[in-house]
Amino acid sequence: MWRNYLIVGIRSLAKNRTFALINILGLAIGMAACLLLLIFVRYELSYDAWMPDAERTFQLQQHYTKPTEGPPVLLQMSSYASGPAFKKEFPQVESWAYATRSAPILLRNGQPEPVKDFFLTDANLLDVLRLPMAKGSRAGALSQQNSLVLSEREAARLFPGEDPIGKTLTVVARGTSMDFKVTGVFRDIPRNSHLRIAVIARLNLHSYFAEQPDFLTHWGNQSGWVYARLRPGADADAIRAGFAAFEKRNIPDEDFGGTRTNQGDISDFALVNVRDVHLGAAQQGQITPGNDRRSILTFAVVGLLILGMACVNFVNLSTARASQRAREVALRKVLGADRRQLIVQFLAESTLVAAVAMLLALALVELLLPPVAAFLEADMRVAWFGIGGIALPALVLVLVVGIAGGLYPALVLSRFQPASVLKANKSAADAHGSGTLRNALVIGQFAVSIGLIICTVVIYAQTVYARSVDPGFRREGILQIDGIGRRQLYPQVETIIREVGKVAGVSAVGITSIGLATDNTSNMLVQLPNVAEPAQLGNYTVDYDFFPAMGVDLVAGRLLDRNRPLDSAERAFPPQPEAERAFAARGVNAVVNELAARRLGFTRPADAVGKQIRASLADQAYGLVPVTIVGVVRDARFRSVRTPLEPTLFTNRTVGSNWMIVRFAGRNPAAVRADVEAAWRRIAPDVPFEARFSDEIMGELYAAEDARARIFAGFALLAVIVGCLGLFGLATFTAERRTKEIGIRKVLGARTQDIVRLLVWQFSRPVLVANLLAWPIAWWLMRDWLNGFDARIALGPAPFVAAGLLALLIAVATIGGHALRVARANPIHALRYE
Amino acid sequence: MLSLRNLSRAYRTDTVETTALDAIDLDIADGEFVAIMGPSGCGKSTLLNILGLLDSPTSGSYDFAGTEVAGLPEAKLSAIRKRHIGFIFQSFNLVDELSVRENVELALLYHGIPAAERRARVDRVMDKVGIAHRAAHRPSQLSGGQQQRVAVARAVVGEPKLILADEPTGNLDTAHGEEVMRMLQALNGEGATIIMVTHSPAHADYASRVVDMLDGRVLIERRQAA
Repeated sequence: MWRNYLIVGIRSLAKNRTFALINILGLAIGMAACLLLLIFVRYELSYDAWMPDAERTFQLQQHYTKPTEGPPVLLQMSSYASGPAFKKEFPQVESWAYATRSAPILLRNGQPEPVKDFFLTDANLLDVLRLPMAKGSRAGALSQQNSLVLSEREAARLFPGEDPIGKTLTVVARGTSMDFKVTGVFRDIPRNSHLRIAVIARLNLHSYFAEQPDFLTHWGNQSGWVYARLRPGADADAIRAGFAAFEKRNIPDEDFGGTRTNQGDISDFALVNVRDVHLGAAQQGQITPGNDRRSILTFAVVGLLILGMACVNFVNLSTARASQRAREVALRKVLGADRRQLIVQFLAESTLVAAVAMLLALALVELLLPPVAAFLEADMRVAWFGIGGIALPALVLVLVVGIAGGLYPALVLSRFQPASVLKANKSAADAHGSGTLRNALVIGQFAVSIGLIICTVVIYAQTVYARSVDPGFRREGILQIDGIGRRQLYPQVETIIREVGKVAGVSAVGITSIGLATDNTSNMLVQLPNVAEPAQLGNYTVDYDFFPAMGVDLVAGRLLDRNRPLDSAERAFPPQPEAERAFAARGVNAVVNELAARRLGFTRPADAVGKQIRASLADQAYGLVPVTIVGVVRDARFRSVRTPLEPTLFTNRTVGSNWMIVRFAGRNPAAVRADVEAAWRRIAPDVPFEARFSDEIMGELYAAEDARARIFAGFALLAVIVGCLGLFGLATFTAERRTKEIGIRKVLGARTQDIVRLLVWQFSRPVLVANLLAWPIAWWLMRDWLNGFDARIALGPAPFVAAGLLALLIAVATIGGHALRVARANPIHALRYE
Repeated sequence: MLSLRNLSRAYRTDTVETTALDAIDLDIADGEFVAIMGPSGCGKSTLLNILGLLDSPTSGSYDFAGTEVAGLPEAKLSAIRKRHIGFIFQSFNLVDELSVRENVELALLYHGIPAAERRARVDRVMDKVGIAHRAAHRPSQLSGGQQQRVAVARAVVGEPKLILADEPTGNLDTAHGEEVMRMLQALNGEGATIIMVTHSPAHADYASRVVDMLDGRVLIERRQAA
């Protein structure tokens, strides 16, 4: 029996090649998309599951859920101070460690070079994060101060062909040179990890941060990550339940100009398993960029939609050409087949088609995964068997698609009444299955296609907008140099600025603590006269030439001036009590941006000029510093358009400002860069020169958005292809079915264009109706998506109309050629058929 | 073998009701060879469909081998049909995708007969109708007469008691028509009951009884010497 089904199934496919091709191709595309997305989703969910004892390893996060100003800030970081308190408070905690990222200089053969992904800790971090070791013991490697472990890749880079164990590495950080002994090598951390670590160095953080005691004691200073390992069987939820009490007992009150504040009032703690960090709610202050569950869900839904469209093709084409199978069905019934047997037969056939499509899909997956993985910078591979293998999902997919695509046709086909089908001379019945259903399905398919096209257009437009929106500064012609704030450069900053300024083509050089796409945030509270609630402003330092160098225009008042002593906030670093006290007493002039002026309650920028506020610019001990606003500059967007614009107060100070902004014009950028580098190396040979052009920085800033937009466009394209395949098949079939009608129309005088118009119109209608379905849904989804951007395009009618027209055009092109061929045929042939 | 009493069949559309069969009384005994004749639209095919359990009467009774089958559910009818009735059609109705052998075998697939026995029976019956040498061919590669022989083989391979033939010679030339008629005659000789719809008086002469129909009624029944 099964052999018989197989023979009939295969021969019936072979007989209707177009039908078979459309179905198999469409299903293969849908299945491949599904499998690729499955691999991607699994990959995203696999983050840090590889880590030994991952189920007991947690990250302590500090979430500013109720900040004084602006949207919530959910950090993966936590203050150092929270670590010891956490361990003391909760007996479930077996061990904890703090790690902070640093960008020191490594001295190798006397040559300075920057190290990336360098972490400092003051405990045995490897005892908490149990990274698999390649050399050395996990327990012993970081048990001593001034020991250091490397990743395999870093070890191979620093000590090619040598055993690194026991070797000494000299690191320059905060102006001090320190020796570390290499005590272990850990296996390279897989890409599916929220961690990216090349070096972990253990030292005494208390002496390292001796000049900034706040760093380790203040609960509002989040500059690193706190990890904890719980005891076996410990209940993380029980700890979470105790956080409110924990905050009350441990976080000290602060005095802000006479007002009591407490970090616990504006922030909450979260205990997140390492496996959940990557997709967690908190995506700020991360080690590696995370992802959000929503975008993963979106991709999964799009994959299923494409597969659904391919199944719809199957249903439509099977029911449309059901008449061709009617005689066979009737005959089988006459010969004693019951309906169940026929349903089984047709389901077996659709499963066969699904299986053939799956073979093609698997080949596509093997072919497409490497480029897709490279594109997403994900370490995805095709595994066949076991957990995470695709053999089982592929099998399930074949069965699901076979049944989803085959059930309705099977029910329709098996319903034929033999007596009516087998009448002499009537070998075929009319097209069975409901034409209304077919139309509804086609409308659904096109609605999905149109919706995806709209989304693609909007996402693309927003991506372009993000790159081209007026950022409030002149984006072209900037070279940004990293590391000017390094301690050992303090004495040379002035010289470097002067020498770089002499380079041909350079028009301005500025220093700043907020550069292009930098990830540091610095906030402070300011007190307005006669207003009880303090406001929160960004607190950044710049030098006198920063605004001209960055190309930020003045809106009201004046810029900071090197000839006016009160414009300078320059003090010694490390802070000296005398100087700080004097500074707090005399006050300082500052420039704010337009948003800050508005936040402070001034409707017009000019209103802010000359007004005085009090800000926590110096240590608490010296009280609030009186600040006079002397100028208002344009709002400038130095960061991604996703990040809300910061209301900012700029004071003049070069110490601690880490970036140098070099504006140039009229010369080849590479030549300018080479000359700037030469000047730098002359003055500071022991500090690496790390510089990037503004367009490079902006490109990287939006690289992830671009990748997402392109992947979305790719899937939209797949959906459109699958939809068009189905439409083409349906058009082919309808033209066949209407051959006689077309013949009669032609005999009665219809012209070719009349026939073409007839067929094209028949298939254009569902596309037009699909617009009505797709538009509101796409509008709703895209409005939501755009709300995630601080600067965004307006959602006008253009993408909707464009997508509708595009879909119509594609549909007409798909069926037009076919309609033309049918319309041109000699009507005699058509009529002789009967 | 079968007996119809006051059997009617009406077709309804939204506006009109057409009576295809009007109060038919008919008895057919085991081993008979009955020809049904009449002009187009007189209800011959409807009668044959009802006799073959492919259609159900609107009213009246139909006794098939001692069982009242009028009003039985589709599954029961299907079971009786499978066991007792073979069909031959004017347009052969072979499955294009299957070879001659597979087409004949199709009739046995739904009987749950083991493969070896199926093969033996298919061979035997193909031999009998003279198409064994064409076993691997597809229907499209055969002449009309050969196709109808395949259809006959398929109708008899299940060894039914009743063979229903709907204008079995309608699509054939004279020589092939005669050939098929002789085949039916031989089957009748072996004990099968045959009911055949035909337009051809010459072919009706092969039957032991002729039923003439007009407008859904039995006009006359003629018995004739075999």
